[in-house]
Amino acid sequence: MSVEIRTARPAHDPLEPGPLILGKPTDQELNDELLSHVYAPRRGWILLFLVAAGGTSLLGLGVTVTFARGIGAWGNNVPVAWAFDIINFVWWIGIGHAGTLISAILLLFQQKWRTSINRFAEAMTLFAVMQAGIFPLIHLGRPWFAYWLFPYPSTLGVWPNFKSPLIWDVFAVSTYLTVSFLFWYLGLLPDLAALRDTSQGVWRRRVYGVFALGWRGSARAWRHYRIGYLLLAGLATPLVLSVHTIVSFDFAVSQVPGWHTTIFPPYFVAGAVFSGFAMVLTLIIPARRLLRIERVVTLRHLENMAKVLLVTGLMVSYGYVMEHFIAWYSGNPYEFAVFFKTRWQGPYAPVFWLMMSCNVLLPNIFWFKKARTSLVVLWIASLLINVGMWSERFVIIVTSLHRDFLPSSWAMYAPTWVDWSILFGTLSFFSLLFLLFLRYVPAVAVTEVKELRHELAAHGAAAGHDAVGVPLAEEESNA
Amino acid sequence: MSHAAATSRSFVLAEFDGPEPLFAAARGVRAAGHTRLDAHMPYPVHGADEALGLGHSRVPLIALVGGLGGVATAYLMAWWMNAVDYRINVAGRPFNALPAFVPIMFELGVLFASLAIFLGCILLFGLPRLHHPVFEVEAFRSASVDKFWLSVETAGEPGPIAQQLREAGANVVEVVEGEP
Repeated sequence: MSVEIRTARPAHDPLEPGPLILGKPTDQELNDELLSHVYAPRRGWILLFLVAAGGTSLLGLGVTVTFARGIGAWGNNVPVAWAFDIINFVWWIGIGHAGTLISAILLLFQQKWRTSINRFAEAMTLFAVMQAGIFPLIHLGRPWFAYWLFPYPSTLGVWPNFKSPLIWDVFAVSTYLTVSFLFWYLGLLPDLAALRDTSQGVWRRRVYGVFALGWRGSARAWRHYRIGYLLLAGLATPLVLSVHTIVSFDFAVSQVPGWHTTIFPPYFVAGAVFSGFAMVLTLIIPARRLLRIERVVTLRHLENMAKVLLVTGLMVSYGYVMEHFIAWYSGNPYEFAVFFKTRWQGPYAPVFWLMMSCNVLLPNIFWFKKARTSLVVLWIASLLINVGMWSERFVIIVTSLHRDFLPSSWAMYAPTWVDWSILFGTLSFFSLLFLLFLRYVPAVAVTEVKELRHELAAHGAAAGHDAVGVPLAEEESNA
Repeated sequence: MSHAAATSRSFVLAEFDGPEPLFAAARGVRAAGHTRLDAHMPYPVHGADEALGLGHSRVPLIALVGGLGGVATAYLMAWWMNAVDYRINVAGRPFNALPAFVPIMFELGVLFASLAIFLGCILLFGLPRLHHPVFEVEAFRSASVDKFWLSVETAGEPGPIAQQLREAGANVVEVVEGEP
């Protein structure tokens, strides 16, 4: 006669964070699971790809019309000489910032939850910066002279003016794109080697083999790799702060009411991270289902991102409050008019109040765990925050320009269909690049997840809040 | 697998399930007088440098040189272009305006340092090199998935090393020849 002995399971600690990796996969299982989306396309991928490709043709159309007919095809006018082009530029650059924050800053802070989302976020950065780069180029009017932006010895005998934030922008954005790419590619090397070694078919092995450059996982290479990767993270961290700071200088050094303010650099950086995290959530919530990577992108990851949204949302709110305070405190009638009359009550007031609702009110739902852990709430909120941050750039640029110092030069601005088709075209192009990435490149840094699993297994309970988590212990006791 | 008198270099490759047995085997082989060792691992593991007797990485120095080079390049460029060769008077500000040059000095410093790190790493890795003798072994594919491989390079007879690694608990031991 056997006696069944039941041991009491320890009560679940509500403060204990959720697991970073569900279950207890082996390295081989992680490898197969996380690379399987590269071995064979997921159902629905081709449909999404076709939709994105169709949308990208809008970009082609908009850009062609712009080149053929000139900037006059857009709604821009005088005084609103900067409109959709700069709004979209700032918005896309800002979205990129979360990728670098996740991959570099969280690495330096040893936040282990970054591991399964960093590759994803870095790809988002690259593609977002590419979209951003399109706008200043097509806004040049004569984009075939874009190389004039760079200092090269020309027969014209002139050099760029290095005291201008516009030329700082050229260096900041091109450096940002280059460094993001190097960081991404260095991290990708071991995963490309894994693809070379595990893909089926000679051609796949050859192509991944070429991109892996012959990586052998040699200890001699890892020794340099680790320090090189860490140093790149250390460089990318101040770089990402500098990029949106310099973008904000484009506005802050001018005297236009509503732009001429010293809070712009930190407020732009916070807004960039805010919108970027929203975009990561927008992308990763459907993608983790499509790629079936819920095992390594858990609710804990999503909840942490929601917390970042809350914090950066509060920083952005502080920026709004400070702008208004300084406009009042400065005693400058033009500043006062822009902030308290034009923006609150002017013709574009609905955009302003949309911005306030999405960026100031909405993030406060993330004080509640229920909101932070509900996929539907997170996804809808992330979309609205993207809308809110786009509205913010609209408010900053259009409301400030359309009514400046002289009432005789006031004018209204309305985008044309060309403006809209370029905006939706870049959204589609971004999606297209992202879908290609999800199809051909490991979307999760497999090597780093294996390393994390190894670390968590080695340190076990001692890893405390970074432990694999409660469900693992439960599974073990069931086994 | 044993080969007759090796003409070029031989690589004795041994697969282990985890890093610890690999490090133990590496120490054993080093104690036997072989110094040209390498480990091939799917992810970096602490202790490999000590077990294989590898020194410090020079990447930080390369990064420093690259970064300082970028800062200097940016300053000299801005100074020569705006203060010497083509002076632009912006509201009476100095032509040689260091504070206004800082953003580009910072950006180029980061850019040059990052390029130096990336290219320096690739050179130190010995890449790009699409073929290497270790790729002759089909089982070596596991080195990027979940297994840990020790590679001992020798000009002499590989047999005793292979035997030693088998005794150290290797799953698979293979010998290949080729240029290191």
